[in-house]
Amino acid sequence: MNSETGHAAAVPAAVPRAADRVAASLKRRYAAERRFRACGLAAVCFAVFCLGVLLFTVFRTAIPAFTQTMIELEVTLYPQEIDPAGTRTADAISTADYQKLIRDALDDLFPDISDRRQRRELMALLSPGATYTLRDTVMADPGLIGRRITVRVPFADDVDQFAKGRFDAAADAASRPLSDKQIEWFQRLEQRGLVHHDFNTTLFTAGDSRSPELAGIWGALVGTFWTMLVTMAISFPLAIGAAVYLEEFAPKNRWTALIEVNINNLAAVPSIVFGLLGLAVFLNVFGLPRSAPLVGGLVLALMTLPIIIIASRAALKAVPPSIREAALGVGASKVQTVFHHVVPLAMPGMLTGAILGMAHALGETAPLLMIGMVAFIVDIPGSPLSAATVMPVQIYLWSDSPERAFVERSAAAIVILLGFLVVMNLVAVVLRRRFERKW
Amino acid sequence: MKMLQEDDAPDAPMERVTTSANGKVKFLTDNVSVFYGAKQALKDIQLNIYANQVTALIGPSGCGKSTYLRCLNRMNDTIPGCRVAGTILLDGEDIYSGEMDPVHLRARVGMVFQKPNPFPKSIFENVAYGPRIHGLAKDRQELEMIVENSLQKAGLWKEVQDRLAQPGTGLSGGQQQRLCIARAIAVQPEVILMDEPCSALDPIATARIEELIDELRQNYTIVIVTHSMQQAARVSQRTGFFHLGSLVETGATGQIFTNPVEQRTQDYITGRFG
Repeated sequence: MNSETGHAAAVPAAVPRAADRVAASLKRRYAAERRFRACGLAAVCFAVFCLGVLLFTVFRTAIPAFTQTMIELEVTLYPQEIDPAGTRTADAISTADYQKLIRDALDDLFPDISDRRQRRELMALLSPGATYTLRDTVMADPGLIGRRITVRVPFADDVDQFAKGRFDAAADAASRPLSDKQIEWFQRLEQRGLVHHDFNTTLFTAGDSRSPELAGIWGALVGTFWTMLVTMAISFPLAIGAAVYLEEFAPKNRWTALIEVNINNLAAVPSIVFGLLGLAVFLNVFGLPRSAPLVGGLVLALMTLPIIIIASRAALKAVPPSIREAALGVGASKVQTVFHHVVPLAMPGMLTGAILGMAHALGETAPLLMIGMVAFIVDIPGSPLSAATVMPVQIYLWSDSPERAFVERSAAAIVILLGFLVVMNLVAVVLRRRFERKW
Repeated sequence: MKMLQEDDAPDAPMERVTTSANGKVKFLTDNVSVFYGAKQALKDIQLNIYANQVTALIGPSGCGKSTYLRCLNRMNDTIPGCRVAGTILLDGEDIYSGEMDPVHLRARVGMVFQKPNPFPKSIFENVAYGPRIHGLAKDRQELEMIVENSLQKAGLWKEVQDRLAQPGTGLSGGQQQRLCIARAIAVQPEVILMDEPCSALDPIATARIEELIDELRQNYTIVIVTHSMQQAARVSQRTGFFHLGSLVETGATGQIFTNPVEQRTQDYITGRFG
């Protein structure tokens, strides 16, 4: 009896109904799903956190670079100093000794300092660019000569760093770039209200300089513009042409397969190799000018070609075959089918690929080092053939400089470069949205 | 001068227009086989398609009826590895000869596909595209005429005349398919091939298209592939039954559906396989 009831109870336990088994497994399945979701969420959170830390650090370092500490000086423009002959020619005005005028104006503020060494130390508070600022002011309006004018000229980078609290006046004098005297003079200027914290326009209008307070990104930006122009002009038409031919017209045989494999391989070649190629071919064989955006653009075009080709081919592949059949069915030729229907439909994808390729090229440094675009270039490049550098190389150069003030300027340049990248990617997104069509 | 004389010669060897009791032969298919790589998709097809009639091709999936249809306007040329053997004559001209330009052929033999596939452009542009690339209209006015006529023949004009500038992809499935028919008509073809034109449509839209096919028969030769035997019986005058790459039987639709010669046809029609 006992064994019988035991047996009867065991049967349903051994063979549960399918619905019960499903119900039992549901719990496990939901748990797995929750685990997976939690992992994904954690990964995303970690990535966002890292990105946040990175951006926060860069921005915090960069923000001081957008202001520059300036001194308000009252300068008397003695005619006998600037233009003793009274000719008022541009040549005479530009060669005058403005440094003396600045020195005199500064000495007027500190009549108590008479010692030569101390006066030299006092003059070191100002940037060497103060002279140029004054000269440019006078050159712009020669009518000022003989009058007493107020100009704002930049402090030297060390003073600027002190004003931004980068080092402490209480620290050991040997470990800081300013002497006790210089700090005291600066504080006296501050008390008289002659110290201003102005927006740093130099950063956006000047080329590179050895003095951080005179250095700007405009030269690198213009160099980047020329380089990108050359890259775009060469890589976009070539890549679209290659993609359309390979995808739509080329016979599918061993040769095209070989070409396809090699294009994919090229996309994975380290960029410095393209730089070496540019050095060997464009500079040494063709004798193109060193450091020129033309060569940089050519090298970057080679580098972005495979990226744009691959993206464009994917975009062409994504056009449904029904559209091709529809066009062929009404008697369109192959070329008409491709250029009236397939390419316009693939265009958003192609443009996205091109913009992402350009964004890639915009951030590229290594290949440009090989072709001499890493030089110290003060002048704003006037054409694709003049010596230039580009934004990422400028950042590389500045981050390598010993002056503290270049640290914040590197960060500022990074922020600006990131801004350009964000804008380019936004343009890619907008283009994709605008041209995207449903079928 | 010599060339001209040759062209004018009345008994050119390609001129093999045949007529029979069923009417003028539009397409003459002799011994056609189709291979996809090593695989044979069609075996020795012998089939006549008569002018101003609807010929329905029926048969189970994968029997080769669509493949045959696509031979008639050389759409198979676009498939890599596809080879066609045998002869297909359109009004006595060999369409697979070197002299036949496939683009010209497709202008004469239009096609409507299984899934409505309007271009992602305006309704007007969809219909105007064919005439425009073939230079069928002298000016904008004539082009507009062609578009209106084609849409009217496809029975779509009343529904879309106020919104010709709107995208063709915004229409309903049945309207899209009629737009595709209008697009095919606009090129003024002699033959319209239809590859299961109603398989993606509901019964009302299907009825509308079937009505249309019957009207179009007056001016065009129509070949339609269909899975629906009722549809074949309703719209066609002649029917060909394909099975496993062979043409099993062909004849007048009434005869095929009521009194087939072959046992396999009988079995398929009565639903014993397929």
